[in-house]
Amino acid sequence: MKKLRNALLPLLGFAIVIAIWEIVGSRLGNSLFAPASSVLVQYIDMLREGTMLNELFTSLRQMLLGFVIACLVGMPMGIAMGRSKITDTMLRPWVSIFVVTSTAALVPILIMILGTGLTLRATVVFLAAVWYIVLTTYNGAKGVSPELLAVGHSFSANRHQIFWKIILPALYPYLITGARIGLIHAIRAMVMAEMFVIVGYGALINQAGMEINTSSLLALLLTLAIISLIANAILSQWGKNLAPWYEQQRQTL
Amino acid sequence: MPKKSIPLLWFSALSIVIGLAVWELCATQFSDFILPSPLSVFAQFLDPNFALRLAKAVSGSLIQLGIGFGLALAVAVPLGTLLGRSDTLYRMFNPTINAIYAIPPVALIPFLIIWFGLFLESRVALVFLMCFFDILVVIIAGSRDVRTSWIDVGRSFGGSRYYCLRHIVFPALTPFLFAALRVGSARAINGMITAELFFAAVNLGQLLKRSSQAFDASAALAVVMTVCLMGLLAQTIIMLLERRLLHWHIRRS
Repeated sequence: MKKLRNALLPLLGFAIVIAIWEIVGSRLGNSLFAPASSVLVQYIDMLREGTMLNELFTSLRQMLLGFVIACLVGMPMGIAMGRSKITDTMLRPWVSIFVVTSTAALVPILIMILGTGLTLRATVVFLAAVWYIVLTTYNGAKGVSPELLAVGHSFSANRHQIFWKIILPALYPYLITGARIGLIHAIRAMVMAEMFVIVGYGALINQAGMEINTSSLLALLLTLAIISLIANAILSQWGKNLAPWYEQQRQTL
Repeated sequence: MPKKSIPLLWFSALSIVIGLAVWELCATQFSDFILPSPLSVFAQFLDPNFALRLAKAVSGSLIQLGIGFGLALAVAVPLGTLLGRSDTLYRMFNPTINAIYAIPPVALIPFLIIWFGLFLESRVALVFLMCFFDILVVIIAGSRDVRTSWIDVGRSFGGSRYYCLRHIVFPALTPFLFAALRVGSARAINGMITAELFFAAVNLGQLLKRSSQAFDASAALAVVMTVCLMGLLAQTIIMLLERRLLHWHIRRS
């Protein structure tokens, strides 16, 4: 009974929100806020037509380039900062400066240096995501339980073994969380950069706005929401497979 | 540990100096249009003409920042507490909130232009949207985190619902409130500069756009640095407030 209730409540919530959307939308009309029904019609049209998905996948590929580089740089950096006091004190001032720097403010300057091509978009995504990945990994690496390390030492594991067999597995949940937070920021940055230089998916959003066509605008936003929810779900499922003990630990706390 | 923290502080200072030196060295390799030296950026702040424009721009930007951030706090904190404290409401609306949270706020800009135009109202709206959901998510997580045993104690000593909310839930929520302030203020400042770049260019955004269009990279970097300093200042103020008000709460860091 309780399970059924818990499964039905989110659906009820969605239904309420969509009902409000429909009522408000039909009052305001297509030029201000398209109702859910006309967005659905538009959405199916846009899926058939294919431009939306094409642009989306091109944009996502470029975003992934920046995001993967951010992971490759951010994760080792976070681990180094978390495990070594000197690296921590040397790098932390820079990380705390860059993490509060708005990427949008950097875009005009980056355009001067990099132009408006692929490099710009990948760099913007990188800069938006990397600091969050560093900080999450850093917090995890700092919190690796000394007891685990002591067990390793007493079984006379060498530095190499301690890193690969103890520290790294203990960090899996944090690496995944860092990647999730980083990905949210990467997608935000991708859209921001594309709307700034008016290319790709961002250009589609801009165009829908210019034409005051809120049903296609909402359809484009819906796709973005779906994509980031799917990416998030994949990463968290991956995290559960990689570190099955973590979820249990959290539940018993 | 005052004995240990002094050398660590020196390391941080050393790191900043090394960073600036590397920047200076790199700057000699490039032309001033692309990468100006740190000295010429600092010189911008001393130029009274530029400093005056900068100060004016900052005070203009602070208006939309204040209104937007204030509104977001005023709505998100009560709403987040409500959603976090009521299990039914949480289950009903949390998936929807996550879906909306997944949409990059920048993608909503065409909407904001349609609804609010290009000036102050739309800038406030963007600042609001950029930080609203980040605050909401933290507050929801926080108010769900309040231990039921504490509330049970309050109830068994005859405290009313309101009494428990006022004297148990709110104090337990304050560390999360500060977390929300930290995340929210960084996002709000991000929203402030993004708004000025994407809507009609005014204040700091205008200064940044004009300087980069005139290929005056040192002025553009000076603006970016100002935004960055605003972020750091906000974080520091919040941290000091937290230390003063929450000395009873040991922050895990």
